Amino acid sequence: MSRRGDWVYENNGGTCVAIAGADYCVVAADTRLSTGYSIYTRDYSKICKLADKCVLASSGFQGDIKALQKNLSARHLIYQHQHNKQMSCPAMAQLLSNTLYYKRFFPYYAFNVLGGLDNEGKGCVFTYDAVGSYERVGYSSQGSGSTLIMPVLDNQLKSPSPLLLPAKDSVTPLSEMEAVDLVKDVFASATERDIYTGDKLEIVIINASGIQHEFMELRKD
Amino acid sequence: MSIFEYNGSAVVAMVGKNCFAIASDRRLGVNLQTIATDFQRIYKIHDKLYIGLSGLATDAQTLYQRLVFRHKLYQLREERDMRPETFASLVSAILYEKRFGPYFCQPVIAGLGDDNKPFICTMDCIGAKELAKDFVVSGTASESLYGACESMFKPDLEPDELFEVVSQALLASVDRDCLSGWGGHVLIVTPTEVLERTLKGRMD
Amino acid sequence: MKLDTSGLEAPAPILGGIDDLSVDFAAAQSFDLPGCADFDGFQKDAVQMVKPAKGTTTLAFIFKEGVIVAADSRASMGGYISSQSVKKIIEINPYMLGTMAGGAADCQFWHRNLGIKCRLHELANKRRISVTGASKLLANILYSYRGMGLSVGTMIAGWDEKGPGLYYVDSEGGRLKGTRFSVGSGSPYAYGVLDNGYRYDLSIEEAAELGRRAIYHATFRDGASGGVASVYFVGPNGWKKMSGDDVGELHYKYYPVTTTPVEQEMAEVPAA
Repeated sequence: MSRRGDWVYENNGGTCVAIAGADYCVVAADTRLSTGYSIYTRDYSKICKLADKCVLASSGFQGDIKALQKNLSARHLIYQHQHNKQMSCPAMAQLLSNTLYYKRFFPYYAFNVLGGLDNEGKGCVFTYDAVGSYERVGYSSQGSGSTLIMPVLDNQLKSPSPLLLPAKDSVTPLSEMEAVDLVKDVFASATERDIYTGDKLEIVIINASGIQHEFMELRKD
Repeated sequence: MSIFEYNGSAVVAMVGKNCFAIASDRRLGVNLQTIATDFQRIYKIHDKLYIGLSGLATDAQTLYQRLVFRHKLYQLREERDMRPETFASLVSAILYEKRFGPYFCQPVIAGLGDDNKPFICTMDCIGAKELAKDFVVSGTASESLYGACESMFKPDLEPDELFEVVSQALLASVDRDCLSGWGGHVLIVTPTEVLERTLKGRMD
Repeated sequence: MKLDTSGLEAPAPILGGIDDLSVDFAAAQSFDLPGCADFDGFQKDAVQMVKPAKGTTTLAFIFKEGVIVAADSRASMGGYISSQSVKKIIEINPYMLGTMAGGAADCQFWHRNLGIKCRLHELANKRRISVTGASKLLANILYSYRGMGLSVGTMIAGWDEKGPGLYYVDSEGGRLKGTRFSVGSGSPYAYGVLDNGYRYDLSIEEAAELGRRAIYHATFRDGASGGVASVYFVGPNGWKKMSGDDVGELHYKYYPVTTTPVEQEMAEVPAA
C-alpha cells in the first residue's frame, strides 16, 4: 500500500457475518483489533446497535467506522425526535448507503453488514461495499475472512436468487439455533486460516423478543 | 494482475482413510476470457501418484513433461515407481533450479506411499515443500478453498464420502472465483482402484 | 471546480423550528474531499484499497414492439465474486429503466438521484419526462464530475410520447442515441450474439429470448459476468420483467448433457 504523507487509512482486519431467517436475524463478528502483524486488543466490539431492530457490524479501519457509527446514531436520534419512532431497518440501510456515498471521493474504509428485522418482522441483511453500493440478501460476510466464509455459507444456505422469474422463496431454511451454530462453525474455520480473525466471537440475535448477546471463545494465536 | 492468475485455476487434494482425492477445475482462460472448459490440470505420474499444477498453464505443461522425463529415467534405472516423498523432493529440486526465473506454478502432489499410506503436499513456485496431514489447496480460488475445506474436512473418510466432500468444497469455492470453475475434475485413489469423475458445474 | 449538488439537497425543507436542533445534519449534504494536494493520486490509491464492485454484461435494443433490456447479476472485486444477485437493471419509474455497468455505487446512487429528478419533473410539468430528457439530466451530472474518477456506463431505456427511446450515457460525458447497445466487460460476446440475431420485426418473445441468449453467451465466456440473466421489456404500457434465469441452469437448458454413446465394445474374437 502507498505510504504517502497524507495517507490516513489503516486496516484493522476483522470479519463480520449476518444471516437472515424467517423471523430472526443473526449478526456476528470477531473481537480482534489488529494492524499488520500486531494485535491492538483482543476484546473490541465491531457490532453497533443503531436502532431497536437494527445492528451494524463493520470491519476495515476502526477510526472511520467509529466516525460512521456516530454519524448514523446522530441522524437516528434526529429521526426519532422528528418522527417519534425508531427507524426501520430498510430505511437505515438506505441512509447508510447515502452516508457512504457522500464520502465517495474520500471514502470511509469500512465494509459493513447491516442486520435486523423489517417492518413485517422478517429478518433482513444488507451488504455494502466501501462507497455505498448495497443489496438486500439472505446472508452475507464481509471483512478479512469473508473469502473463506462465503463459499461455506453458499454451500449451506444456498437460496434461490431474488431475481429469478418465476420467483422462488429465498428465505434461509435454518432455524435460529441452527443459524447460530453455523455462524460459530464458520468463524472457528476462518480463525484457523485468517490471522486477522480470532480471540472471541460476538453474536447478536435479533428477534421479536428483542436483542440477545452471545459470546464464544476463538483461537488466540 | 499476477502472472499466477493469468489462466485461472483451482486445485485441491485431501486425505481419507487409506486413500486420497485430488481435484481441479476445468477452465483455461486468458485473464477474464474463457478459452477452454475441458482443460486438465491434474497429471498422472504413475498409478498411485498424481500432480496438480495450478498457475500458468504453459509452465505447468512444460514442468509436467520434465517431470515425466525424470520419472521415466528413474523407472529405467531402478525398475520401480517413485515414492511420493521422493517425487516431491524431485519436483522441489527441479523448481529450485529455476530459482531466479521460476516456473509460475504452484504444484499439489498426492500419492499413496509405502504400505499405501496417503501422502499430500504442496509447494511454492520455487520449491519450498509444505506437507500436510489433512488437505492442501492452490490456485486463484485458494482462499475460498481454504475456508471450504477447513469447514468440510473430517479425518479418515471412506472413498465415497471423500469424493462428496472434495466435490462440494471445490464447487462451492470456484463459484466465488471469477477465474476458475466451468466444471470440475475429481480423482479418488485407493490402493486397489482409481475413481475418475467429471463434475457438472456452473458455466459462468 | 463547481460541483452540481442541487439534486442532493433535501427535497423539501424540514418543519421549521426543528431545523435549529439539527444544524449540521438537516442541511444539504455535500461531498467530502480529501485535504491533500494530489487528488488524483489519492483517488487511485483509495480505489486500489476499497476495490469497488465491478464487472458486467448489460444490453438493450429497440425493435418493433418496444425496448428489450437485459443484464447479468455478478459483482466482482478483483478475482473474488462479491455477489451473484446484483440488481443491474434499475427501475427508474414504471416507464423507464437504467442499466448498471462500472462502479456499482456510482450507478446505484446516480440512478436513484435521477429517479428523484424525474419524479420532480413529472410533478412540476404534469407529464412524464422524455427518455431524451432523463438521459441528458444524467449525462450533465456525470459531466460535471468528469475527471474525478466516477465510473458509470449506463443505458437509459424507456417509452415516452415519441415511442421507444434508448440512450447510452457514460461517466466520460458521452451520450449516444441508438437502437442497439451493450456495455460492460462481457459486451463483445453479447454483441456477437445480438448482432447476429437482431431484426427490427422480432416478436416480443423472440426479442426477449435473443436478449437472454446474448447475456448467457457473455456469462459463459466472460469471467466477470454471471449469476442470473434478467430480461425486461418496455412497451407502451410500461416495463415488464420477461424472465430471470439462473445461468447455471440455463447452460444445461441450451446444451443438455448427452451421455456419450458407448462405442462398440471390443468383442471377444470367436475362436476359429
